[in-house]
Amino acid sequence: MSSSLHPLERRVLSALSKEGTLPFAALVTRSGLKEDQARRALQWLSTKGMVDIEETSVVRLEVARTPPELALMKMLAAAREPPTVEWLRGQFASPEEFSAAFGRARASGWVVVGGSDRSAVKGTGSDGPKALEEIIASVSRTGRGEDGPGRKEVVADLLKRGLLRRIETKETSVSMTPAGNAAVSSTVSAELSDRLTSEALSSGAWREKGLRPIDVEAKSATFFPGRRHPVRDFIREVKETYVSMGFTELTGDSIHPAFWNFDALFIPQDHPGREMQDTFYIEGMSDRKLVRRSVVANVASAHEDGWRTGSTGWGYSWRVEEARRLVLRTHNTVLTVRALSESKERETRVFAVSKVYRNENLDYKHLAEFHQMDGIMVGEGLNLRHLMGFLKEFYMKLGMKDVKLWPTFFPYTEPSLEVVGYSDVVKAWIELGGSGIFRPEVTLPLGVKVPVLAWGPGIERLMLMRFGLEDMRELYGSDLSWLRNRVELAGR
Amino acid sequence: MPVVKIELDRFAKMVGAKREEILERLPFVGLDIEGVERDSVRVEYSPNRPDFGTDFGIARAMRGLLGKEVGLPRYRISDSGMAVSVDRRLADIRPHIACAVVTGLDLDQEDIRQIISLQEDLHNGLGRKRRAVAIGLHDLGATKPPLAYRAVDSSFKFVPLEGTTELTIEEALDRLPEGRLYGGTLPREGPFPVITDSEGTVLSFPPVINGNATKVTQNTKNVLIDVTGTGKKQGDDVLAVLATTLAEAGGMIQSVSISSGKSVRTTPDLEPRALRLDLALIRSTLGLDLSRKQVVQALGRSRMGVRGNSALGPRYRVDLMHPVDVAEEVALGYGFDRIGSAYPPSRQPGSFNAFEDFLDSAATVMADSGMTELMTFELVDHAMLYGNFGRSSSARISVHEPRSSEHSLLRDSLLPPLMAALSGNVKSEYPQRVFEVGRVYLREGDDVSERWHLGCLVAHSQSSFSEAKMYLEAACRTLTGVEVSAKASELWAFAPGRCASAWAGARALGHVGELTPESVHAFGLKVPVSGFEIDLTALRELLK
Repeated sequence: MSSSLHPLERRVLSALSKEGTLPFAALVTRSGLKEDQARRALQWLSTKGMVDIEETSVVRLEVARTPPELALMKMLAAAREPPTVEWLRGQFASPEEFSAAFGRARASGWVVVGGSDRSAVKGTGSDGPKALEEIIASVSRTGRGEDGPGRKEVVADLLKRGLLRRIETKETSVSMTPAGNAAVSSTVSAELSDRLTSEALSSGAWREKGLRPIDVEAKSATFFPGRRHPVRDFIREVKETYVSMGFTELTGDSIHPAFWNFDALFIPQDHPGREMQDTFYIEGMSDRKLVRRSVVANVASAHEDGWRTGSTGWGYSWRVEEARRLVLRTHNTVLTVRALSESKERETRVFAVSKVYRNENLDYKHLAEFHQMDGIMVGEGLNLRHLMGFLKEFYMKLGMKDVKLWPTFFPYTEPSLEVVGYSDVVKAWIELGGSGIFRPEVTLPLGVKVPVLAWGPGIERLMLMRFGLEDMRELYGSDLSWLRNRVELAGR
Repeated sequence: MPVVKIELDRFAKMVGAKREEILERLPFVGLDIEGVERDSVRVEYSPNRPDFGTDFGIARAMRGLLGKEVGLPRYRISDSGMAVSVDRRLADIRPHIACAVVTGLDLDQEDIRQIISLQEDLHNGLGRKRRAVAIGLHDLGATKPPLAYRAVDSSFKFVPLEGTTELTIEEALDRLPEGRLYGGTLPREGPFPVITDSEGTVLSFPPVINGNATKVTQNTKNVLIDVTGTGKKQGDDVLAVLATTLAEAGGMIQSVSISSGKSVRTTPDLEPRALRLDLALIRSTLGLDLSRKQVVQALGRSRMGVRGNSALGPRYRVDLMHPVDVAEEVALGYGFDRIGSAYPPSRQPGSFNAFEDFLDSAATVMADSGMTELMTFELVDHAMLYGNFGRSSSARISVHEPRSSEHSLLRDSLLPPLMAALSGNVKSEYPQRVFEVGRVYLREGDDVSERWHLGCLVAHSQSSFSEAKMYLEAACRTLTGVEVSAKASELWAFAPGRCASAWAGARALGHVGELTPESVHAFGLKVPVSGFEIDLTALRELLK
């Protein structure tokens, strides 16, 4: 059955499939629809040429009066002895009626008059009365009486005598066209079920009942599969790249003493970057356990006069209170440098991909919370050429084929490099992140005597390119329409 | 980072090179090109290179890099004959002063713009917003030497720059914008530093404002520079940058004698700075087997000199602290693009962190349950975290002076940011099922405990406690095999009677429930919301 049929249409065609033609009222009953539903469905079906709707005249007969001769015959049958003409006349409402009945019965040979005084009325045992009775019964039951040999004339006579009436009515009848037949031909004549039920499966009823066809071209409900966040997937990709290059993953807290976030990286205590407008300090908390001893003392001296690093130092007087303040890490180098101070291995590669925090006003290229993918490579003999080699390899694996390495400045690396990559999206060279070799003022106070290559680029710019976005805020906007509808393979 | 605007035609003349060559090489002196226009280019420079604060300074470096003028720049210094005496009462306030005279200047408008921009950058950078160092430029002809750097009290009167009437120090501090901006670095009760000439004319009230009498105009040919501050080195650094920049602009530098009690010194100090020339360190840092001759040549292009075992850096280079800085200068002079690269393959396998992997799996399990993952911010505002739930904020953790109040508190729960996310998505199709694997911060007295939580919200017309609990149980079972049990409980986020605590044996993991109607209403949602939040850090510990 064509899938474009409406369920109402299907019900109508099913109801018609047995008879081919039905009066409207019968169709309503048979289909189980309401009248207006059936009417609507018929309108659609007739437009499609699947049904013909015909207005027909139907003629039916009605009994106006029982023929008086039949009444006469009943009286005769009921009497014990053949009654007299006089008596019978008295049984009728009027002498005219009796005359009609008696005359008709005698003429038809149903009765004779005999006896001693020639006034007794006797039945002849004719079949006539019975045949007439059947005609009358048929008319009152079905509206028809002329079907049968010889009945047609009888009915015509009865009509003429006014004993039967002819009643004419208009009726809507519906019949299936060949197109309608074709539409139902795919369905078996047995009844169909809307769905396969457990009951039908266990009782075996599914063998008798097929499934009612449905409109398989209709629109279905919208569904959104569960999704991991695209940033999570990208971070995973970065982590896999690191691990494939022999790096071990680090993780750690977001809140650290300023000492590890700044001082250990040789960032002087009055450095503009440490000021409130760039860094989130935790209100009313500090690391009271931090004292100027061992590593902390080495770092403090490196700031003041260079300690044993061969540096002049920054030439100011270092304060432990400043180093105790708690900050939300401004870079993940805080994690790698803490790992560096704890591990005494002479060769190691570690990385961390996680959030960093900056006291910024949000705009399309600034967020207060974003991600960096910091790493360090520690080992005897590592140098600037190795750093450049690593960065090119790493970015190539992340899909940036064309990167340039330009000199730049960071307080804790020397030499320092800026990684610049060509973006096909914005058609320009864009800064991807900083890197360098840790200064001796950073490594020696921690007890590290081999070169440390370090880098800490952000990942948001790479993600904007990957996802075709222009505003970093969109990445973390929790916009369900983007998160649910984005194409999984976009940018690959 | 400070920015310098370079007009390309002017700059090409200063350098003696073509525009294209200049644009291509600018990044290799360590400058970031911020924007290129038709006739100009804007470059960002790091505050540790204040000598890049004008096109004069950048041209000086560029001539070296292109081999047009190499080695230490030489500046001839003659004696101005000027003397400055320093008042000992300034010893605890702003003790240091250094001066220089520059004569024979003939500055055009662009020269002046460049120098004013440099002065501002120096004030903000090395000067630490004038707290550490403040600069004054004066018309030499309007001063009557000798000068005095004196301590005065708050009733001392002078006519400030661009003023017509005398103000007392106190009035200057209260009424002038500069007074309010920079007066805070001086003790409120005084004494206050001023520079006066032999006739008592005020040149400057550092670090607040200059006097009007010695104002520099477009016609000024000879200037006096004063630099005052809290540290001698920083003051000398700033003066060296300014004096040599003015010399690059065509001036002749003259020295000034500064006497403080019995000690007398001559400024500006333009003596080159010597660092150990450590050839082994240079070679091992760069990975290049350079000869001494190549090193000397490269340093010359970086405008440095070599004497014996010392590398000499010009005095305006305030960033040279360690022999490793010399190595970078060699790299710059040699050319970063000529160094070449070599990736060292790893000798050991890498590995993922087990806890990070666990968090990642938690996200996968939730996404596989049909949830959309969100990543919201950890810094939130008061209404989201406390107000909309009508709960106490006594255990809040605040950050100091956030730029935006939207990022003023560290969250202790994922439910508020998830509710805020739903509230931003009321036009999206329902049902909405979201989760986050995120960091939360719990106050423990004066300490903070950082935990990783899993939060989940289910929002649609039929959302219920039992649906949320179903997801919670499925997540724990699938992730860890732990069967969670629920006990009737209470939590600020959930409606009374519709909240349970979730337990793994005797270990409390979190809560599950139907969000309070008040909070659903407060976040502007029109459907019921149920959800849960559990401590993944605790769940992970169960597995050990």
